[in-house]
Amino acid sequence: MLNRSLLLGLIALTAATLGLSASAAQAPTARRAAPAPAPSHQTGDLQTLSAAKQSELVSTYCATCHSERAKAGGLSLAGFDAMRSHERAEVVEKMIRKLRAGMMPPAGSKRPDADTLEALTAALEGRMDEFASVNPNPGFRPSLRLNRAEYARAIKDLLELDVDVTAFLAADTISHGFDNVADAQRISPTLLEGYLRAAGQISRLAVGDRTATASATTYKTSRTASQHRHVDGTPLGTRGGLAVTHVFPADGDYTFRMMLHAGPTGQLYGGPYAGEQAEVSIDGERVALLDINPRMDEADERGMNLFTKPVYVKAGPHRVAAAFINRFDGPVDDLVMPIEHTLADTNIGEVFGVTALVHLRDFAITGPHAVTGVSDTVSRRKVFSCRPTTTAEEAPCAKAAISKLATQAYRGSLTADEVQGLLKFYDQGRADGGDFESGVRTALQAILASPRFLFRLEQAPTTAKPGQAFALSGGDMASRLSFYLWGAVPDDALVKASARLVTPAGLATETRRLLADRRSEALSTRFAHQWLRLQDVEKVRPDYHFAPGWDTYLSTALVRETELFFDSLVREDRSILDLLSADYSFVNERLAKHYGIPNITGDAYQRVTVPDYRRGILGHGSVLLATSFADRTSPVNRGKWVMEVLLASPPPAPPPNVPALEDTKGSAGGRLLSVRERMEQHRANPACQSCHKVIDPLGLALENFDITGKWRAKDSLVPVDAKGQLYDGTPMDGPAGLREALLKHQDAFLLSFTEHLMTYALGRRVESYDMPVVRAIIRDAAKTNYKVSSFVVGIATSAPFRMGKLEPAETTTDRPIAR
Amino acid sequence: MYLSQKHLSRRTMLKGVGVTVALPFLEAMLPARTAYATSAAARKVRFAALEMVHGSAGATVVGTQKHMWSPAATGKAFDLSGTSLRSLEPYRDYLTIVSNTDVRNAEAFELPEIGGDHFRSSAVFLTQAHPRQTQGSNVRAGTSIDQHYAQKFGQETPIPSMQLCIENVDQAGGCSYGYSCVYTDTISWGAADEPLPMVRDPRVAFDQLFGVGATAEERAKRRREDKSILDWVTSEIGRLQRTLGPVDRARLSDYLDDVREIERRIQKVETFNSSGEQRALPGAPIGVPDSFSEHVKLMFDLQAVAFASDITRVFSFKMGRDASGRVYPESGVSTGFHPASHHQGREDRVTEFAKINAYHVSLIPYFLEKLRQTPEGDGNLLDHTLVMYGSPMGDSNVHNHKRCPLFLVGHAGGQLKGNLHIKAADGTPMANAMLSVGQMLGLDLPAFGDSTAPMDLNAAASLTAAQ
Repeated sequence: MLNRSLLLGLIALTAATLGLSASAAQAPTARRAAPAPAPSHQTGDLQTLSAAKQSELVSTYCATCHSERAKAGGLSLAGFDAMRSHERAEVVEKMIRKLRAGMMPPAGSKRPDADTLEALTAALEGRMDEFASVNPNPGFRPSLRLNRAEYARAIKDLLELDVDVTAFLAADTISHGFDNVADAQRISPTLLEGYLRAAGQISRLAVGDRTATASATTYKTSRTASQHRHVDGTPLGTRGGLAVTHVFPADGDYTFRMMLHAGPTGQLYGGPYAGEQAEVSIDGERVALLDINPRMDEADERGMNLFTKPVYVKAGPHRVAAAFINRFDGPVDDLVMPIEHTLADTNIGEVFGVTALVHLRDFAITGPHAVTGVSDTVSRRKVFSCRPTTTAEEAPCAKAAISKLATQAYRGSLTADEVQGLLKFYDQGRADGGDFESGVRTALQAILASPRFLFRLEQAPTTAKPGQAFALSGGDMASRLSFYLWGAVPDDALVKASARLVTPAGLATETRRLLADRRSEALSTRFAHQWLRLQDVEKVRPDYHFAPGWDTYLSTALVRETELFFDSLVREDRSILDLLSADYSFVNERLAKHYGIPNITGDAYQRVTVPDYRRGILGHGSVLLATSFADRTSPVNRGKWVMEVLLASPPPAPPPNVPALEDTKGSAGGRLLSVRERMEQHRANPACQSCHKVIDPLGLALENFDITGKWRAKDSLVPVDAKGQLYDGTPMDGPAGLREALLKHQDAFLLSFTEHLMTYALGRRVESYDMPVVRAIIRDAAKTNYKVSSFVVGIATSAPFRMGKLEPAETTTDRPIAR
Repeated sequence: MYLSQKHLSRRTMLKGVGVTVALPFLEAMLPARTAYATSAAARKVRFAALEMVHGSAGATVVGTQKHMWSPAATGKAFDLSGTSLRSLEPYRDYLTIVSNTDVRNAEAFELPEIGGDHFRSSAVFLTQAHPRQTQGSNVRAGTSIDQHYAQKFGQETPIPSMQLCIENVDQAGGCSYGYSCVYTDTISWGAADEPLPMVRDPRVAFDQLFGVGATAEERAKRRREDKSILDWVTSEIGRLQRTLGPVDRARLSDYLDDVREIERRIQKVETFNSSGEQRALPGAPIGVPDSFSEHVKLMFDLQAVAFASDITRVFSFKMGRDASGRVYPESGVSTGFHPASHHQGREDRVTEFAKINAYHVSLIPYFLEKLRQTPEGDGNLLDHTLVMYGSPMGDSNVHNHKRCPLFLVGHAGGQLKGNLHIKAADGTPMANAMLSVGQMLGLDLPAFGDSTAPMDLNAAASLTAAQ
């Protein structure tokens, strides 16, 4: 306690000075004299535009539409005074954004020559940067609580347990694309109850439960999960089915039930082939082989169920698989080729000439019966780091084990009071349950319910005044850093290094260490996954009439491809511009078949060179699928995705009462219309035109990719026309054309990447006052040709990441309660 | 008890009056409602919407003539013997039969929809909306009546609503005839594009409703644990707040409010348990029982206890699944449900099918009796409950949606007199009855589905003209 308060005092003393110097590091002092900093690619002396000239340019080229009367886009720039632009920071930053993306002035209107436009942009930026350098504002965010992903990861690190957190915690609110934005995180009784329930269950799962009574857990397979192929995690030589990691609460007997699909009239779907078998395996070892009666019927006494005899299983997590024995392999030569959905329609299985195979519906594990005890598990070894041999040893041993758990869970040291508080739970559990283990378990339950575990609380110096910025302590920095790069709590090495994190050099060193560590793959599975909106992939289930080649496993593979691709940019420290233009990607057999890439076999992902049209993220099936509808592509969704994700310029929301594309005529002259033809019909409305002429060409350039991202030459029998004009008038054709156009406006793309990464890193939205810092990071990254690491380190060492600020609390808070 | 946060901040409220007297606040926090504001008791109506698939034998030509589903006489002097509703005789004072209504939105509107009735109907029952034919994720029906109720008043109970089912469901991919399985799998829709998953496993439902733990002692033990942890969390928060900024302090105060909220909830359960009027809280079930009737009864146990303890006031319960071939041995019929429903209109087979209908209805009294045995206010729980049972299909042999089964049981807080058979004029939409049910539940619904007018559920003659 003494140490902590001393430290806090020191921080308080130095807070003000640190605050200034940290921000100054972002904007070198030299720039104060010369107002306009030079953006990366900019040339020459045009940056010396006078303020009067800037105002005049705005008045001539912008204020005709953005006038008091017309207020285009709800913005008036009448009487714009460049001298006082810092007073309208939000508006000016918006102007800079549109200018950098080349969106304003719009194509077809009067515009100055490119150099003048560039000079104006640079001058506006320069003034904002200069103002920020003398008025630093590191921003503020409330403390974060652990979201679903972080909670699951923390439990895994703490107890070696994989838990399904969706059973306990409500879905996280997404703000600006991310699930870790502090002020969007809701706290409700439902959430608290979820945390409480999780603490009770997880602490029992971790130590095992001798008193466990039988209960059933059911796992489902999707109807759209192909049963023709081997499923990841199941034993080789099987097809279909599922594999799960199930935590068995105690040593004892368990029974397993597989339920199969029936057709509409109740007979086994995929029958009747005599001799089909299914197996249940635990950790790869078969524990039951079940014969499937081809005459099985829903009306049977046991319905569509296959039961195993009781199987003795030891406590702890085990990989359980239920799958069918694979009895044939190789291509199927059907009259009607099988569709990958395999169960899109249960009638299909009843048609002759189609190979339909028995399909797993769900899988249930029931038990334990006849509990014999609790075997040692890796989780138990984590919990009972000390084991007493005599009663006298129990109390000190409990203290040691509990302190170790709590220190890791709380991401920092414990006070004597805190230890005492937890030991009371040990005593209570010891008395209630009658043994040492029950005591430790009860204390573990309390640890998991503690606000110190659930919240990432950051300490403010006691002397800090509202509105005042202060440097975060090393301990808090360690936490920020590891959640940023690993999506997890700090490891021992980082905790040990925390004192060094208060200096920029020490911080940069640790950031690079964390980045080099394998765990930084969280940047792709957590950050890039959300930035590129991969979570939308699972929301689209294509209609099998339009995408017979799709199934659930294809979606899984598409997402994995993009994650691996982003991870390669991080691992190899490539230029982030490669995200748009890399000529390689990662595929497994399933995906290679989908993309038409030959000679790839097996479930493992391999690096392959892709054809020109599939280069970069724009050729990734994940993005193309996530931006489609079930029955057609959506150039609007794709264009919107490009604008929001890659250009950081979201289009305005559509006005109310817009007719849907579905309301246009779907066919003419006896032929279904192509998506482009229907869009043109739809866009004939001039009210829609102004925005859609910006959005649509971006998506139409990708029309050669069908719903699932397969290359196509025709849509509804007409050749695909992927030509269009970028908003600035540049002609584009197909994905290559769009790629060129985006690279031409790389400033917008770099801004978007930096802004998104910073949002994720800070746990708050990036505001207009952060933009000078964002620009400084991009300028620094330019020196390394935009290597990923320079952005990652640039953000970690920026003032907003290193500093906290005290905001006065609101007097009352209105919090809606989740339904 | 949960309080709606829409009108008053919880903090403001807690500061003002103190936490122990929660109920009077409830009134203050509720928006003034029009006709409904006068009848505070009505708000506490428990609503259970039960669906059975495949219509009824009574909707066939011969079934209508022989009054296989609903009785011959309308009004009060009806005779249930010989109908599929005969098992409801002991509850006739609570019973309101609404016969001869149609579910037109379950009909095929376009060519490709013809024949897909089994895969569309269930989505129509509580929404009375026509589902979009799709196998993809772009599903669309309407907000169901139970969810209208739950969304308006559900915040007053710990769990706003719960969805239960008996048959297995998939919730993904396509079913038959170009319809997504969600249309077949659920009857509750939170919004037109938000089908709500239904819970099939009684254990899962049990844990959600009453907490984890196989026995009452185990659950009590866990509640004790939770309580002492909450106490400790309270003091921890107090300690932590000293070193935090004002916003974080406020954030933790909010958290503290939530801690008290949960403590109050635990207290409530314990008060309920120690009041001596505890209806046997069922032991936690292991999982899904093999027998249909056992499964149904378990689900009714859960609903009755949840209603009694006011954990939730809204259940939807899907008791069958379209095109299911399940055999109900206790009905005395050995043919599967779906094959039996395609009786070709032959009298002997229609009569067989009626036995299955009667068997399904005969499971309801188990639930009704539990409600009637539970004292509530000045009467029993059935007085304050509205059980709605029906099917979105009529004659399943030809897949039509005319003369569909529908009856209501319970007095709905005194709003429903009971002992009544209403025979609607030919062509009356079932949605008219549902609109009135909605209004009885305090919803400001101008219309519902394809409703043409509300139906007086307390008058024998339906004045609704067919349109």
